[in-house]
Amino acid sequence: MSKTRKLQAAIVVILGIVTLVGGIAAIARFVQGLGPTTNLSDAYPWGLWIVYDVFFIPFSAGAFMISAVTHIYDRHEYYPIARPVIVAGFLGYVFVVVVLLMDLARWHRFYNILIPWYWNLHSFMFEVSMCITVYTVILVLEVAPAILERLNWQKPLRLIRFATVVIAGAGIVLSSLHQSSLGSLFLLMPYKLHPLWWTPLLPLFFFAAAAFSGLSMAIFVAVVSFKAFGRDLKLGLLSDLAKIVAIMLGIYLAIKIGDLLTAGEMGLLFTEGWLSVLFLAEIVIGAVVPFVLFLTRKGRETSSGLVWGSACVLVGLALNRTNVALLALNAPPGATYFPHWIEIAVSIAAVAAGVLLFFLATRFLPVLPEPAVARDEATT
Amino acid sequence: MRKGMLVDLTRCIGCRACQVACKQWNDLPAEETQNWGSYQNPAALSADTWTLVEFTEVDEGDGLQWVFAKRQCMHCLHPACASACPVGAFHQTEQGAVVYDPARCIGCRYCMVVCPFGVPKLEWEEPLPFVRKCRFCVDRLEAGLEPACAKACPTDAIVFGNRDDLIAEAEERIRNQPGRYVDHVYGKDELGGTSWLYLSAVPFDKLGFPTLGPEPVTTLSEVVATYGTPSIAVTVAAVLGGLYYWFSRREKNMHAEQDAEQEEREAS
Repeated sequence: MSKTRKLQAAIVVILGIVTLVGGIAAIARFVQGLGPTTNLSDAYPWGLWIVYDVFFIPFSAGAFMISAVTHIYDRHEYYPIARPVIVAGFLGYVFVVVVLLMDLARWHRFYNILIPWYWNLHSFMFEVSMCITVYTVILVLEVAPAILERLNWQKPLRLIRFATVVIAGAGIVLSSLHQSSLGSLFLLMPYKLHPLWWTPLLPLFFFAAAAFSGLSMAIFVAVVSFKAFGRDLKLGLLSDLAKIVAIMLGIYLAIKIGDLLTAGEMGLLFTEGWLSVLFLAEIVIGAVVPFVLFLTRKGRETSSGLVWGSACVLVGLALNRTNVALLALNAPPGATYFPHWIEIAVSIAAVAAGVLLFFLATRFLPVLPEPAVARDEATT
Repeated sequence: MRKGMLVDLTRCIGCRACQVACKQWNDLPAEETQNWGSYQNPAALSADTWTLVEFTEVDEGDGLQWVFAKRQCMHCLHPACASACPVGAFHQTEQGAVVYDPARCIGCRYCMVVCPFGVPKLEWEEPLPFVRKCRFCVDRLEAGLEPACAKACPTDAIVFGNRDDLIAEAEERIRNQPGRYVDHVYGKDELGGTSWLYLSAVPFDKLGFPTLGPEPVTTLSEVVATYGTPSIAVTVAAVLGGLYYWFSRREKNMHAEQDAEQEEREAS
C-alpha cells in the first residue's frame, strides 16, 4: 500500500469513528429529548444546531451557483468542477436536514409541514422548510447521474438528462427563495436581534451572502478535491469565479455600509463592546480581506490565493450566521448558553460524515474527471 | 367582541392568588423551587407556570417601592407567534385569545424566539415536549366566565372585560388620579395593541416590560412573505429563462454562421 493510500485509509477510519460517536449522541438525544441532552433552555431556545443549519445552507449554495453557471450561462468548461461541487452541496443539504430533524423538539411530527391545511403562508419558517424539502429532492436528481452512470442504468439517466435544464432552473429559483427567506426569518425580531444586524434588508443580505459564499465553497471544494486526488485543474476557470466573488463582495460591503449610514447606526460599530468586535470581525474577515485578495491578480490566479480567499469568505459566513442566530439575539439578563457535548458531538459528526461520504463518492463514483494518466494507461 | 384584561399594579398586594388559581384551573403541577432572595417564586415563567407575579424593588427618588407585576402572555392583537408558526399551531380566537394546537406543533421553537415578551415555553424535560403558555382561559371565556386569575384576585387588580371598555376605564383612572399613575396604558398601543393592559405607578421599563413601538412586528414580515416571495420567484425564473433563451439562441446563431461559412467554403 502506498503512503497516500495509507493516509487516505487513516482519514476514513478517523472520520468513521467521529461519525459513530455523533451517531450514538444522536440516539441519546432522540431517546431523552432536548432538555437532558442539550444546554438549550427557555432563555436560549435556539443554539448550536440552528447555527449549523443557517451556516451550511448558504455553504451548500455552491451547488446552485455552479449549476447556474454551467446550465444557464452555458459555460461547458465548468462541467469538470460542477459534479464535485454539486455532490458537496447535496451532502451539505442532507446533513442540514439531519441536524434540523435533531433540533425539532417534536421531530416525530415533522411531516406536519407537508399537510396543506396546516400551512401558514405568512411564516418564513414554513417557506424555509418547504424549500429545503423540495430543493433536496432536486439535488437528488442532480446527483443521480453520477450514481446511474456507475450502475449503467440508461433509461432513468436519459430521462434526467432530458430534463436537466428544467431541474437546474427549478433548483436555482428554490435556492434564491430559501436563501433569502432564511434571512427573512429574523424580520420578526426587530426587538430581539441587535440593530447592527437587524435591517429590513436581511433577506437581500442573506441571498447575497449565499451567492458569494456558494461560489467560494465551489472554489474551495474544486481546488482541494482536485489537489487531493492529483487531478489537473485549469485555475483560469476558478479565477473567473473569484473575480465574480470580488464584485459581489464589493456590492455587499457597499450596501451594508449604506444601510448602516441610512439607519444612522454607524456609531454602533464602536459602542457595543464585544458585539461591535464580532460585527467588525465578520465584515473584515469575510468581506474586506477576500475582496482585496481577489482583486489582485496573484490572489485570483494561484491556488493558495484561491484557497485562502475562499476560506476567509466561509469563516466570515460562519461568524455572520453565529452572530445572527445566536450571539446578537438578546436573551434575558443573566442567562447563558454554551453547547452541551452532545450538541457539539452531533455537529462535528455531521460535518465528518459529509466529508466521509464526499471522499467515498469521489473515490467510487464518476464525480471527478478521469486523470489523464489513467486514461493513457487504459488505452495502451 | 375583543376581550381584554386590565392589570392595575397599584392595586396588587402580591398575594399570588392569581398564580395559584391559574395552576388549579389549568391542572399545572407545582415546581420545586429554591430561595433565590426574592418573594418572586418561581423565578421565571415556564411550561408549568403560565402566570407569575414579579417582585421588583424600584427607587424613584422618594424611597424604595416594592412593585408587584403579574406577567403572562399578552395576547397580542398581532401575535408574532401565530405569524411565525410554520404549521399554524397558534391562532387567535374571535375574543382575542392566542391559543395553541398541540397536534400541529413540530417543536421548531420559532415562536419562542420571535415573541417580544419571551412568553412561549417548552416542556424541556419531556422527550417529545409541547410548547405551553397562558391561553386566556379560553374554555372559561367560551362558557361566559372570566379567566381564573381575574376571578381569584381579591383587590380587583385584575379586571376582565371588553378591551375598548377597559382602555376607557384605564384612561379614566389616570385622569382621576394623575399622581397615582404614570401616564401610560401599557398594551394599548404596544405592537399594535395587546389584549392585556397595564397601569403602573412607576415607568414600565423599570419593571422589565420591554419598550416597544406601535408598529406590529408582524407587518414587515407578512408583507415580505405575501409580495416578496412570489416576486422573487417570478423575477428569478424570468431572468433565468431569458438568459437561457439568449445564450442558447446565440449558440445556435454561432453554429448557423459556422455552417454557412462551411457551405460557402465547400461551394467555392
